[in-house]
Amino acid sequence: MGSCNVSGQAYAFMAMTPVKPGEEDALTDYLRGLRARGPSPLAKLPRTHLGRFVIVKDFHNDPSWKQRKEEHLDLPYLIFTSNFDGDLDSYLDELCETLAPEAEEIWGRCVGCPETAKGAALKAYLKHNQIDTGIFFAAYGQATVGTVKRSLSQRERMIDFARTSQGLEPDALQQAFLREFGGKR
Amino acid sequence: MSVHAAPVGPITATGTQQRNVDGQAIAITVFSTIKWWGRPFLPVLFLLTRRFPALTRILRELSFIHFARWSVVRRIPYNGPPQRKGRLRYPHMYFESNFNGGWEEYIDAFSHILTRGMTAFWGSSYGFPKPLPTAPFKKYIQDNETEADHYYSTYPEATSTIVQRALALDAKLAPLKRDAERMDPDAFAAAYRTFLTDVQDCL
Repeated sequence: MGSCNVSGQAYAFMAMTPVKPGEEDALTDYLRGLRARGPSPLAKLPRTHLGRFVIVKDFHNDPSWKQRKEEHLDLPYLIFTSNFDGDLDSYLDELCETLAPEAEEIWGRCVGCPETAKGAALKAYLKHNQIDTGIFFAAYGQATVGTVKRSLSQRERMIDFARTSQGLEPDALQQAFLREFGGKR
Repeated sequence: MSVHAAPVGPITATGTQQRNVDGQAIAITVFSTIKWWGRPFLPVLFLLTRRFPALTRILRELSFIHFARWSVVRRIPYNGPPQRKGRLRYPHMYFESNFNGGWEEYIDAFSHILTRGMTAFWGSSYGFPKPLPTAPFKKYIQDNETEADHYYSTYPEATSTIVQRALALDAKLAPLKRDAERMDPDAFAAAYRTFLTDVQDCL
């Protein structure tokens, strides 16, 4: 897939898969219940910045828009998008192994999903259903999840340090700084 | 020197359904139906935007967006029956954003600051009422928006602004960390004061 999915080192993935007839309610319940059951399954993929699952029931049609003909989806569709670090292949490898139990509950309810929703077969299914991005904007696309988390933590420590170090003599200030943030000769 | 840090603060995500929210982050997901002339126009617009990123520069300046994307869906990949095979009658534009703050304020900012950009991106969509005034545009987005069934942010406590401040701080702190140990205490104290003044906007 093209570089239009990439901004910096960040990748925008989108898969759009048809939900099997009769499975929409169960899939909806499962996805909406994830939060109550504990951490998001996407938290098991440490390269994920932000992700979402959305079930689209139909396109919106409005007679006042004067479309020549209305257009309706044939089935509900599950959209999965993720904004993550690095390349797609290795990310999907991780997803298709780590999220195998959840994948069975999610894509296992979609048309064409392999019998066992995991591994290479699931990866091929997700890639088959990928929709390319036209424009991908990443405000900090060069920064990985690890860099962002470290920087956020360091910022908190810097704020604390700036408060607690007020009034220290130069020698004590330097020693406190080195203890908190280290130093390299 | 006293430091007035921007607090991590209360959750600012407002104006949308709870399932579109994870901590400070809000998800917006919109499909719109594209008129015939959008089929050739939008790929050119996307290409030009990638090549001459004036639009993304303004998005960056808005500072409350983590990630956003636009895609044109012309056909949905076929997976066998009972899925219907074939192209869609119309292309459809998929838009998603991951941002922080209020939904209303987000659309207001888009409408007022990116007026021409929004017209370019959604002008070929059926029913698009122009970005200004904002009330019809907000209704249009609401009509075409789909609520997330599950939304996840790996750093839900952080706004995009805070992330960008933290990254800027990291870059500015690196030289001081590198040099701190070999400085004499007075030189370090002077360098630290200069650093602290320089990073006030990052804290």
